[in-house]
This record gives sequence, structure tokens and C-alpha cells, in this order.
Amino acid sequence: MTWKDERAVERMIAARAALVDREHIARVNWRKGAAEGGCGVIGIACSVPIAGRHLLQALRQMRNRGNGKGGGAALVGLAPEQFGVSEQVMREDYLLAIAYLDEAARAQVEAQHVERQFEVDHLRIFRPAGGIELDPAPPLVVAYFVRPRGSVLADFAAGAGLEGLPVEELADEFVYQNSFRMNKAWYASLGEKKAFVLSHGKDMLALKLVGYGDDVFRAYELEDMLAHVWIGHHRYPTKGRVWHPGGAHPFVGMHEALVHNGDFANYASVCTCLAQHNIEPLFLTDTEVSVLVFDLLHRTFGYPLEYVIEALAPTTERDFAMLPAGKQAVYRQLQATHIHASPDGPWFFLIAQSAPGEAGRRMPRLIGITDTSMLRPQVFALQQGEPGQPSIGFAASEKQAIDAALESLAAEDARFWSRADRYWNARGGSHTDGGAFIFSVRRDEAGAGELICADKFGRRIEIGESAMPLRRNGKPSGEGKMAAAELPDDLQAAYSRVCSALPGWDYEQAGAFLDDLTDDLRQERARSRALDLLTTLLDRRYPTGNLRRSSWLTMVDEALEKVFRAVREEPGPRYRFHDHGMPLLAPGGRDQAVVLEARRFATEGPHSLAREVVRLVEAGFGRVIVVHARGHRFIANGLGPASDGVRIDVYGSSGDYLASGIDGAVVVVHGSGQDQLAQIMKRGKLVVHGDVGQTFMYAAKGGEAYVLGNAAGRPLINAVGSPRVVINGTCLDYLAESFMAGDVLNGGGFVILNGVAFDETGRLRDLEAPYPGGNLFSLASGGAIFVRDPRRLLGEDQLNGGAFTPLLEEHWERMLPYLQENERLFGISIERLLTVGGERRRPQEVYRAILPARSKALQPEELWVTHGG
Amino acid sequence: MDMDAQTLIARKHSQALHQGFRRWPRMGHAPPALGDRRWTADLILSTWLQAEGGAPEEFGLEYRVGASGGGFDRLAFRSLPREARLPADAAIDTAIVLNRRPYDGRVEIPVPWYGSGMSYGSVSEQVMLARAMAAKSWDTFTCTGEGGYPDSLFPYRDHVITQIATGLFGVREEIIQWAPIVEFKYAQGAKPGLGGHLLGDKATMAVARMRGSVPWVSLFSPFPFHSVYSVEDHRKHLDWIKTVNPEALLSVKVSTPVDIDMVAVGSYYAGAHILQIDGSYGGTGAAPEIAKKNIAMPVEYAIPRVHRYLLEERIRDEIVIVASGGIRTAHDVAKAIALGADGCALGTTELVALGCTRCSNCERGRGCPFGLTTTDPELSLLTDPEWGAERISNLYASMRDQLVEILRRLGLSSVGELRGRTDLLQYVSDESVGDGEVGYDVEG
Repeated sequence: MTWKDERAVERMIAARAALVDREHIARVNWRKGAAEGGCGVIGIACSVPIAGRHLLQALRQMRNRGNGKGGGAALVGLAPEQFGVSEQVMREDYLLAIAYLDEAARAQVEAQHVERQFEVDHLRIFRPAGGIELDPAPPLVVAYFVRPRGSVLADFAAGAGLEGLPVEELADEFVYQNSFRMNKAWYASLGEKKAFVLSHGKDMLALKLVGYGDDVFRAYELEDMLAHVWIGHHRYPTKGRVWHPGGAHPFVGMHEALVHNGDFANYASVCTCLAQHNIEPLFLTDTEVSVLVFDLLHRTFGYPLEYVIEALAPTTERDFAMLPAGKQAVYRQLQATHIHASPDGPWFFLIAQSAPGEAGRRMPRLIGITDTSMLRPQVFALQQGEPGQPSIGFAASEKQAIDAALESLAAEDARFWSRADRYWNARGGSHTDGGAFIFSVRRDEAGAGELICADKFGRRIEIGESAMPLRRNGKPSGEGKMAAAELPDDLQAAYSRVCSALPGWDYEQAGAFLDDLTDDLRQERARSRALDLLTTLLDRRYPTGNLRRSSWLTMVDEALEKVFRAVREEPGPRYRFHDHGMPLLAPGGRDQAVVLEARRFATEGPHSLAREVVRLVEAGFGRVIVVHARGHRFIANGLGPASDGVRIDVYGSSGDYLASGIDGAVVVVHGSGQDQLAQIMKRGKLVVHGDVGQTFMYAAKGGEAYVLGNAAGRPLINAVGSPRVVINGTCLDYLAESFMAGDVLNGGGFVILNGVAFDETGRLRDLEAPYPGGNLFSLASGGAIFVRDPRRLLGEDQLNGGAFTPLLEEHWERMLPYLQENERLFGISIERLLTVGGERRRPQEVYRAILPARSKALQPEELWVTHGG
Repeated sequence: MDMDAQTLIARKHSQALHQGFRRWPRMGHAPPALGDRRWTADLILSTWLQAEGGAPEEFGLEYRVGASGGGFDRLAFRSLPREARLPADAAIDTAIVLNRRPYDGRVEIPVPWYGSGMSYGSVSEQVMLARAMAAKSWDTFTCTGEGGYPDSLFPYRDHVITQIATGLFGVREEIIQWAPIVEFKYAQGAKPGLGGHLLGDKATMAVARMRGSVPWVSLFSPFPFHSVYSVEDHRKHLDWIKTVNPEALLSVKVSTPVDIDMVAVGSYYAGAHILQIDGSYGGTGAAPEIAKKNIAMPVEYAIPRVHRYLLEERIRDEIVIVASGGIRTAHDVAKAIALGADGCALGTTELVALGCTRCSNCERGRGCPFGLTTTDPELSLLTDPEWGAERISNLYASMRDQLVEILRRLGLSSVGELRGRTDLLQYVSDESVGDGEVGYDVEG
């Protein structure tokens, strides 16, 4: 690691004094120009350039995260031919993109801030496409490929006292200062804003307007534009009647563009820190100051990315204690120095960066960073191609957005398929992954790229299995090794047969089997059989041998598709079909199921999928099979009290709040859930064959829930009554905070945390620790957590209001029925759970009970009432 | 103790209390240690009089303002000269609508106020029932607060606002479906930045059953909604309720932070019909001492700030502003409206009508001498719901008469015309306070 010379840092900061009125910025009472909370973000990094249109559907599906008052995109690792420049110009020139709100200003701006300062090698005009009605209309954008004029640069160095700075750094600083001056003169200081710099880094471009994120792609015709890294953003500002594109995201530092989802409480403090370093924010948003802090730490101070991330999202509490001593020493210094400029509040940053790479090449990067408390939704994903084939990484607000982008790609490019190999959440400010992931595209001389995904600490994330993905050039054809007719009628037996045969199959044989299974779907019995078996194959984890699991599941998806198509084309008495715009049918009885096509329903509101589910249940259907969910929210909400006997199955990418408030119904998610599932759930059952997101079962009152994978932050917070929950994986943090679920031996609620996971080969393994966080059962007053911790890895320091107590026989009796159901649902056997290191143990040796400890008096008034003083 | 003895004691006790409520205002002097500077002895006694059916000004009581030396107590109306006022028999409209959006049902209440949220736990079921009965007879609303929806309220459901707060205590789909209005309590003026906090003393068996919690353990609601950390989460939150009950109007209750204007605009865009701005004087007192201090912006500052900001944003007429947290009298209601609110929500005032003396012992389970802010099964017998409903109704009637009189003197034929008319208000300076006469009806 090379450290920047301290004096060089000081000189660079001093050089910026001329840019700002120090007296003024020291006195300013910094206040944001607008409040903005939400926002929807998606970022993609790919080893090969991909077209912008693949973000369109994802952004369209996340429009409910914006309000049409700001949309933006950034792209890094551009295609020189699309800009009409050579590869060398793309690599070496700054791409200065200027938005002209007032085109009349262009000549003057060019004279002052472009031509006088730079050699202009080329320019490309982005004139907003006609036919897009936006108010205000998107600005004309001119992208200039420029190099600072030699004499101008020399004068700048002399005038700013920056002689001797490496020429790259000097040129960067010159470009930065030029843009600042231009923005101040033509944007910030004017009542009537005229022009501003969108971006000025190398091999990268940012574009934004007043509208939604997907409008940017249409307005500037980015659908066919190619880039290695993309980010897209919807903004949700809530103050101010007049919006300018200048306020939309992304904002740029030097060679990076940042979009942000969240809101800081310490905007003024961050601004003050920037002012102390002669940096003046001009656009008055959180996002701008975020990227200015990033640039200060990264470019001016020369911190490596890890330290930049630590300064932004500090490692705290138990996670800090878990760091190696060496890291603690550095991090302590970073925190002491930078905590006041560390954004305080909920935030999630996505950064598209054009980092310097090998041999003068640029290295496109996508960086996703979550705040220490993990207060914003975030999900990462990776699809890893075989050697020589493309790999792609994602970071987004919602999993469904990633799925939409992948589906779009897979539909037209056989090198991709519609499921990622892995989806995961970052643990903010943690010792485990640092709460940040970086996707870097390393390009060789010939331009071929390699995607490298690593966490904050530089540890690589790889799909560590040898099975190759399916090459999708043409339909696989071949002889099957198993005929569907050979399978036993019993579902479990049939599933077992397929599972034992599958590892010996290649893609052709697997394809042939699925074709055979779905060959003749005219009989409803065949449909039922295919649906049940394919669903089990989709839900369960098992060894897939030579097949990459994500590829195999893509094939299962396609086979399921045939079943649903058969129902749509020729519905029968057992499976009816319903789609948007079709009249509601009355079922013949509760035993009839209806396949509900989700795609054309709204995500929320009176015409939402969720309301249609309610209507179908009210009409008398006992089972609703939702297919092709695309982030639809509130599924199975509104069924009202006593919805016993109703079952909702969800295929596709389900959205937030699923199963909230259910009172008797059974809801099964054939995949992962998103955020806020089963909020206030009262009775009934929720099964998720994957992970669940933030605040799972917030304030639940009862019911059963089974999660095959992990929960994100704050599961079961404020839950009361008698919820019974099995989470087979782990949670990010804050499990069962303020849990109040009664007395576990007297009808109260509990969570069983198994701390196991299936690896990519379908084998069940113990996680490194059953629970990595520092807040377990905090402030709980009722209920219990039963955690599978045979190695006694959990410590007292993870508790705050709870106490480890010996697992009683009575506890085990209460747990057993739920573990049995868990075994039935997911194939995770109790036998396996009780087997540690090859040895069968007693439950008491494997599980630990955590029960509420005596509550402490937090307020003087409570001294009257706390138990036992 | 057998039931008969308990009933007898409760009856004897209530009779004594009722006698006290009747006699005290008529004594000519206030009982010792009654009231405080916001709720003076005169205000309390006058509220009792009104609750009994009497006129507020009897026995020389100052029924219009308190003695806080600020806020509403420093404001007076600039009434028109007598000849310019509306005639005594003029028809004056005191109704307001609670939905100003172009969609969803029309909801109108005949008086510009409804009952604000007080939970089962903070007050007794009898008190909730009394409030609900009064709301029904006046065709206005009362609000559950955060502590569940006792079954006894079900017959009054068309007049009960279901509150959803950060602990989501007692929230089930059916209570969302019953409610004509669903209120999200993001914050409470009495303890901004804190969630609800019911001390263990009051979390009796019945309260714990309603909330599904453990008896005798203090109940905290989280400071924020953990599912809402941003405005787009907030919109999602409101969309959730509209999925469960598409007909419901949505109200968003917030305290008064310095960026209240941004909060207001955000709530508008999220789809709220009503924005309730809760000032810092409210709260039953069922909160920790440290949180009961004044730590938010006074509601008198917050109302005009939000009103003007929404006007500038040109969305004022699509959202209803309800002020609460320290609205004591008909005069406070009128002043809040003149500052820019559409209407008010009343909490403490209704408790005072039922006999509250503002002794501030609300946080203890058996601390309330009048059996109001208690969930103790014996103590709560002191409030008979029918009796309570009549007291609140009587107070409403008196308040409405006073509001009509204020409007008549201002020459306004409807309460809607008063909204935002700060020009009709006048600051009452030290000099005018000094002569002992707090101007209320300044003729200008």
C-alpha cells in the first residue's frame, strides 16, 4: 500500500482555498435543499459490456421507490465505437459531460470552461429524444472528450502550488476545480440555473433528469449503449415545487458517480467537515456531500477503499471487538478522525467507479456500501460464468429488480440465465464482510474482462463449485436417463428418485427428463403431478452433480412455465386461470385452485395483485397460485380474520409485506421473500423456501413461520403473543429485539435458530457462527430463542437483556413439532441437526435456550415496578 | 373482597367524586394545588362546569386562556365592532371535511375536532368507551391509541380511528378493516423521538392480554417504525393499509421537529388525507418524567409553518391539518384554525371533562385518583361510560357554542373561512396582561 505524501495532501487542500470563500463557508448554516428518503437503486457490473435496456424493466418495477422528481444513470467502461473515439481516447481523455438547461449558455460555457482549458478531441451530443413528456424537459447534454492544455496545466500547477504532483493527479485536480468553478458560476450562484457538469471522469458518464430513472434511458437513448458497469436511480425528493435535474442522482466525485438511498441526520456536520477542507457543496443534497467525502478520502487523502468504507460506515460494538488487533488500531484512528463526517442515518450507496487499472487501462467498478445499522434495504447477487464466459454482479434495493435485469439479459443473450448463483445481504459495519461489496472488471490488453467480487476486506466472493452452467446455444437434446412414467405416484418418493439420479445427469439428460415430465399436460392429473414435483425440485436443496444449481433451476422454471401455460390455454375444473382484465370466476368449491398471472397487475393500489388475491379468495377459491410475481407487494394481505383453509402459493419474485397480518391462511413462497414479511401475522403459516429481508415478522402476534435460509436485520422485533418460528440460517442482527411473546412453557412464542446452510452443492453445513451480530434478544421480556450452538460460540456479550439458560426437556417438547414440520418442508432432518462432528448428541448439548433476564429499570419511575429490584 | 362490597365502594366513591366536580367550581375559590399554568384552576373548573351542562363563564372563571404566558395564552381575536358582526341568529357552519383529496369517500364532521389517541393501557376501557359514545352522538371520531381495540368499542366502529404506532400493539387486520380512518402515529408531541412507553405498573393482566405481552413488564414501542426509514417506505406503509382496507382515510400523526414542513410534504405525497401535528403540551403523562418535558417546537409555531409551506407548494387544499397536543378550549381550537389548521384533536380536555385535575400521576397503575388513567380493575370502575359520554358531549356542545360566537364576532359564517387567518389574531403583550385582563375579544 502506498501512502500519499502528507505534504502533497496538505498542498492539495490548500490549493482549493482559492475556490471557496472561506469566511462564507465557515459561517453557513448548512441545510439540505430537499428532504429525500427513499429511492430505488440498481447497479450492475459485468465482465462484458451490456446494453442499458436491461435496466429498464428493473427500474420500471421499482418506480414505487421514486416519485418522478429525479432519475439518473451512470455508466462506466464504455464502448469507444459508440462514442466515435478510439480506444486510446476513451482511456486517456476526460469525458466532460455538461447539461445545458439553457442552450443559449452553451457558447459562453464552452469558451470559458472547455476550449480555453482543454484540447477537445471529440464531442458527442445527447439531445433528448422526442416524444418523452417530462417537466421540465431533459437538458441537452454535450459530452466532450478532453485533455487539459499543457500550458494551462503548467500554469495551474504553479498558481496552485501543486508543482511536482504526479501528472495524473494534477490533471484530475485541474478537471475537478474547473468543474467546480463552472457549476458555481452557471448553476449554484444563479437564480435561473443554466448549466452544470454531469460527470468528468475517464471512461464514464452520468446522466440525469427530472423524471424516473428509466426515463433517462429513453430520453438519452441509452437502451443500446454498452457499458461494463451501470447504475440506475429513482429519486424521491419531497420538498420544493421546482425540481432541477441538477438535484437528481448520481453525483460525481472525480472518477466515480454515486447514487444513494437514505437520509442523513448530520448533513450539517458533514458539510462542516468538507468546508474545513475547502470543499463547498453546491447542490445541497446528501448524495452530493457523500461523494465529496468519498473523493476527499479516496483521492485527496489517498486512502485505500477499505479505509474509505470504514470512515463512512464505522465498525462498532461487538463487531469492532471481533476485528484483529491490527485492524482495530487502524480503524480506531479512522473513526477518531472521521466520525463527524460519517453519514449518520439510514443509507445505502452504490458507486460506479472508473478506477485506474493496469497499464493505463481503466478498471470499471461497482461498489455497494450499507450503513452500519443496515437501515436501508440492500441485496447483492452474483452469476458466475464458466472460465472465458461472462460473469455478472448486482447490487440493488430489491431482489426482484435484479431478477428483472437478469431475465431481460437472459432473454436475448445465451451467455446469461435468469437466476443468479447467489443472493446475499451485507452486514453493515461488521467484522464479517464489512457491509460492502466491490465488483471490479479487470480488462486485459485485448479488452477481455474478468469480474472480481470482493468484500470490504478484499476477500473474494466466488461460486466455489466446479459445476458448469448450462450453455444455452440451442435447446439441449439427448436421451433421458429416467422417464417420468417410471416415477412413483407418491410425491416424496418421486422426489427422492429424481434427487438420487440427478447428480449423474448432464444438461441434455436433465432437459430430456423435464421435457418428458411436461410432455403431455392435457390431463389435470399430469398437471398436478408435474406442478408438485417441479415445485419440490424448485424449493428443496440437493446435490445437482454436474449441473450448476442456478442453471438447473432455470430449466425447472421453464418446465413449470409449461404447466402454467397449459392451465392458461385450457383451464380445467381443478386448476382455473385468471389474469388482469378477465372477469372473476366463481369456483366450484374450496378445493379449486386458481393460477393467477401476476405480470399485468399493479404492484400496489386498488388494481394491485394483492387486491385481486383478496377478490379471488372472497369469490371462494381455497387456493391461489400466483405466478410471475414481479415485486408485487402485499400479497396475502387483506384476507381479514379467520382465513383458515386458504392457501396462497407464490412463484417468481415476490415483493414486500407478503403475508402481513394473515390470520389462518397458509402462504408458501417458492423462492426468497423480500422485506417486512408477515408483519403483525396473527395465525396461520408462512413458508419461505429461501431468505427473508428486513423486519421479518415485525410485531407478529402468532402463527408459524419457516425460513429455509437467512433473515436480514431485525426479525421478530416487537413480536408478542405466540409466534413459532424456525430460521434455518442466521440473521444479520437485532434478532427478536423487544420480544414479548409470553412464557414459552405456557403457550408463549419462540424462535428456533439453526445456524445451518446448504452450500452450492446441496450439502448442509454449519455456519461459521449461528449468529454473527451483537444484538440478540435485546430488551426482550418474553418468549425464548432456541439456538443451535453445539460449539458454544455465542457469548454473553451478544445479549442485552437475555440470559443463556439450560435447555429443558419441556423446551425440547415445545420445539419438536416445529422441527418436524421444518424437516418435512425443507428436508433438514432433526437427526442431522443433532449430529455434530459425526456424533449424535442430546438436544441439550446442541441447542441453547435464551430467555429474558430480569429487566433493568431504565427510568426512575420503573424502580417501583421492576421485578426483584 | 366480594363483588358487592367492591361495587358499593366504587359507587360511593364515584358519588363523592361527582359531588366534588359539581361543587368545586361553585366554591368561589379554587381548591388548593389545583392545576398548573397551562391548565389553570379556572380552566379545569370551567371545563367541569361545561361538562355538567353549564355555561363556561359562570362563577367568574377564566375559561378562555391559561396563564402560561405564551402561545395560545398570548393570542386574542380581533373581533369586529358590534355593528359589523353577524346577527345572533346567523347560520354558522362549524363542519369540516376530513378528506380533501379528489378520490376516496367524503367524511365530514359537524365540529372541527375529534378525540385524539389514548391507548387502552394509558386510560381505562371505560374512558375509551365514554369517548366513543360521545364521538358517536356528535358524529365525530375518537381514536384507539396504541394498545389494541377492546371489543366493547366495536359497536362504535364507524366513529373509531384505529391507530397504528411503532409497536403495532394490538393491530390486527380486522381493526384496520373496521376503521373509517387509520392513523399512523410516527411520533407524539409529549415525547418526540421516543416511542410509546407504558410502565410496568399499568401493564395489567388485561392490558397484557390485549397486547399479547407479558403482564407487569414495561412496554416500549420502538422509537421509529422499523419498517419505515424513508419517505418511500412511508408510502409503502400507507399502501399496506389501503390494501387491507381500500376505503380507509389515512392520517399521519407527527410531532413538531424543525423540519416539520418537509414531513408534511412527504406525507402528502405518500397519500395521507390528514396530517396531525402533535404539539408538546399533550400526553396523559403516562410517559417517563424525562420525556414529558417540552422538547419539541410549540404547536403554535408548527401550525402556521406547515400551513404556509403547503400553500407555497400548492397542495394545501388537498390535505387536512389537525392540530393537537395542548388544545384545551374552544378558543384554542379557533386559534389553531386561525393559525392554519383545519381542525383539532382533543385528548386531555376530554379527560378533564371526566374529572382529571392534571395531577400527573398517570404513569402509575393506581396513581389516578379519579380512575381515568388506570387499568386497575377496581379503580377503573369509578368512571361510568354513560356518565362520561354525557360529560364529553356537554363539553362539546359548549365548545361549539363558543366557536359559533367567536365566528359571529369575526363576521365569518363558516369555520373554514377562519383557516389561516392570522390577521384576525393579535398578540397580547405584557402590558395588557399586566392589567389583569388577558384580551380575548379585542375589538379592532
